[in-house]
Amino acid sequence: MARLNDDAQWIVLMGFLVSFSFFFLALVINQSTVVGQTTAESVIEFPKNDIRDVRSVIHQSLNVASPVFNDVESDIKIISMNRKSSVVNYSFFSAANATYIQIHYNNGVTEYNENWTIV
Amino acid sequence: MVKNDGGQLYTIEGFAAGLIMVITAYLVVNATSVYTAGDTHINDMQLEALGSDALKMMDVAPNSTNSETPLQRIITGLNPQDREEFKTLFLKYTNTSGSGPLHDIQFNASYSCRDSNDIIQNVPITNSRELTGGEHVVRATKWVIVDKGCYTAAARDRAVLVEVLLWRD
Repeated sequence: MARLNDDAQWIVLMGFLVSFSFFFLALVINQSTVVGQTTAESVIEFPKNDIRDVRSVIHQSLNVASPVFNDVESDIKIISMNRKSSVVNYSFFSAANATYIQIHYNNGVTEYNENWTIV
Repeated sequence: MVKNDGGQLYTIEGFAAGLIMVITAYLVVNATSVYTAGDTHINDMQLEALGSDALKMMDVAPNSTNSETPLQRIITGLNPQDREEFKTLFLKYTNTSGSGPLHDIQFNASYSCRDSNDIIQNVPITNSRELTGGEHVVRATKWVIVDKGCYTAAARDRAVLVEVLLWRD
């Protein structure tokens, strides 16, 4: 080819450069699917709603009268283990003008601990 | 440096050869995984968030007061009207949310409770369509504290876990 016709080499070279840039743009677009998947999977995997829900039910359980409290506590711990595959443990004690709650949550992937003070 | 315009086509050939090698390597490395938009779990993530939000809204008392929430009332009563109310409320928040066409969302709801032998029981609430097993479902859950154990009304508070399986048909 080089010996047949030497004209228009710059144009052909620029054509190659343009096609190169298209190729790399295609690479970027191709990656976007994978990025979407990674993001969605990490959102699904992180138990944000579970932790919030457990916090709120523990908070509600403080208003339950004391002999029933142990029942509710066992409900939360046992049902969490059985239906959500997560270890939930909590304890609380009251001091002057404040209630301190210690929450432990672990579903095997995410571990969450909290010291929570309610004035 | 002497200006020399020669050998441009050889450069082009070099570029072409390099491009072919890069494309080949790229295709070989990527051949094991083929991603399409449907595989990316984005729909699952959105459906799960929608279901969780709907359950959360059902567990808020009117005007954010301290009184019984619709979800607590439904679980405590669990008569046919309560089951129908669950279906109406849940589909209102998910399937018809907003205006325009429905979102083709179906659900199957139940709640889990602990009986006197520490066995976890699952009590069906209602569904908008029977599960056949072929659906691609996600699960949304919500804790509620109600005066109810498994099946029978309890005179005292118990914590139960409301579970909803959602899918699009």
